[in-house]
Amino acid sequence: MTNELDLHTDSSTHGIDRRGLFRLGGLTAATLAIAACSDNTEAGVVGRVGEGGTTPVLEDPIVNDGVLLRTMAGVSTSIVNAYQHILDGGFLAVASETLPDLGDQTELVTLLQAHHTAAAETFNALAVEAGAEAWTCGNTRLDSATIEPIFERVENGAPATDNAKAIGPSDDPTRDYINLVYCLESMSASSCQAMVPVLSEPAQRFTVMQIGVRSARQASLVSLRIFPGGYVAGVGASTADADAATTTTAAAEGAPPAATAIPLPVAVPARYGLLSPTTFIGGAGDENGVRLKLNFETPSLNSLAYPFYSCD
Amino acid sequence: MEIEVTDSGADAAMSEGQSRLGRRAAMGVGLGGAAISLLPLLSGRAAASASAPVDSSAGGSGSGGNGDSGPTDTAPGDSGPTTTVLVTTTTVAPQRPTPEDITLLSFAQQVEATAVALYNEALKVVGWTDEQAVVITFIRDAHLAYAQSLSGLLGRDAPNSISQEVFDANQAAFSGSVDEVLASAAALESTAVATHGDVIAKLVGTDGGSLIASIQINEARYCTVLADIAGETDPTVLLVDEEAASLVGEG
Repeated sequence: MTNELDLHTDSSTHGIDRRGLFRLGGLTAATLAIAACSDNTEAGVVGRVGEGGTTPVLEDPIVNDGVLLRTMAGVSTSIVNAYQHILDGGFLAVASETLPDLGDQTELVTLLQAHHTAAAETFNALAVEAGAEAWTCGNTRLDSATIEPIFERVENGAPATDNAKAIGPSDDPTRDYINLVYCLESMSASSCQAMVPVLSEPAQRFTVMQIGVRSARQASLVSLRIFPGGYVAGVGASTADADAATTTTAAAEGAPPAATAIPLPVAVPARYGLLSPTTFIGGAGDENGVRLKLNFETPSLNSLAYPFYSCD
Repeated sequence: MEIEVTDSGADAAMSEGQSRLGRRAAMGVGLGGAAISLLPLLSGRAAASASAPVDSSAGGSGSGGNGDSGPTDTAPGDSGPTTTVLVTTTTVAPQRPTPEDITLLSFAQQVEATAVALYNEALKVVGWTDEQAVVITFIRDAHLAYAQSLSGLLGRDAPNSISQEVFDANQAAFSGSVDEVLASAAALESTAVATHGDVIAKLVGTDGGSLIASIQINEARYCTVLADIAGETDPTVLLVDEEAASLVGEG
């Protein structure tokens, strides 16, 4: 018997030999490596390398009754301003070549403008009641994306670019502006209707819909001035007239293509109140005969008057 | 002389087993230690990811009503995402009609069904031009669609019947001359607009409100159309400066 025998016996009994120690050491090293690789930042915060600036914190896009109502005030004010621009230019007093029976609609548009002035005040009163600040200027998105480009295209055309020829002013500003009035009235009605499911108070919905009802009637009346007898869409004589009374003319051989037809509005465009965009087509056609085409849409997240916006 | 000691038989098996058990135990201890050491890190991450939705709903219920994620508010003084406390400032209205809504919507459906019955009377009148007949038929069909839509919303609660009182009050006017029918129809549409306005002012659920609003907008247009067909040129009449009285509370 020797001491070696004793050592061997002990090693077998306790289960820790040199191999075991190596394994434990390796395992510990691997564990530490894994722990070092894991995220050591605070939850939700992206780790930073270097000394760059901090991530800017965006303003919170709060959407509540006050925001919605002051947005509607801005939409109404935009309409008021647009009508004022049209009235100041005297465009509606000029006879339209496309719509010879239209007549002077200055008085009617002045009446419609008064409705929207009162509507803006009503919306602002409701917004203040809901805890928001009044919005006394136009809707910036509506102005910049649709109304101002239409004014620019109708009155001044578009300059030449690298790949397109210049476009002249409109061939019939009266037609374009009365169509714009129709689009704005339709959009106003649709916008009020769109507010019903998103406003929280039934009393607010009632008042907003009173304005929407008036705007819908105004849209119908304007459409009947543009297209007398165009009562309903898709039925009877209205369709035949609509097909005939467009601005499309047959192009002579060698002449530039005819300008895009401008559809005539009807007093009742569908069986239910529409929330779909109202399309404006106007201005002079480009070298391919394509006119300016823009959609008027109900307010959405990119056009709301959030609390961090102001009229200043 | 060195003696090599070897176990055999049962003793050897036992010896080998003890040796394997020792290595496994060592590995188990190592893995267990690693798992325990990682536990705080992993649990911290899990808690962080779980806390986000909790924070976002901490302020209360829902959105502005259209199901998007916009309607949230942040408490002033926030400095970063980890300290953001989201607060919703607009109370969300329920979508489905409440029991009180069902009563109102049932009444609205009766008004629409009555309008269909009255326009059926009107279409029996002799003397309509083709254009007028098209418009009157369109409006009659629209009212039928409205009654059916409301029936769909109400389900088995829908009355699917006319208001006999309203029908009797208007039947004679809808059976007279063309001019008389046009004037009565315009008045009926104005009444429907006022009635639906009152219904909207009381409805809580947004499904009913949306449907009634889309109906009301078009019935407002019918007033202008009917007045125009009747030859009216005064904007105050065409735009209905004086709305008719609502039927809510009368029926």
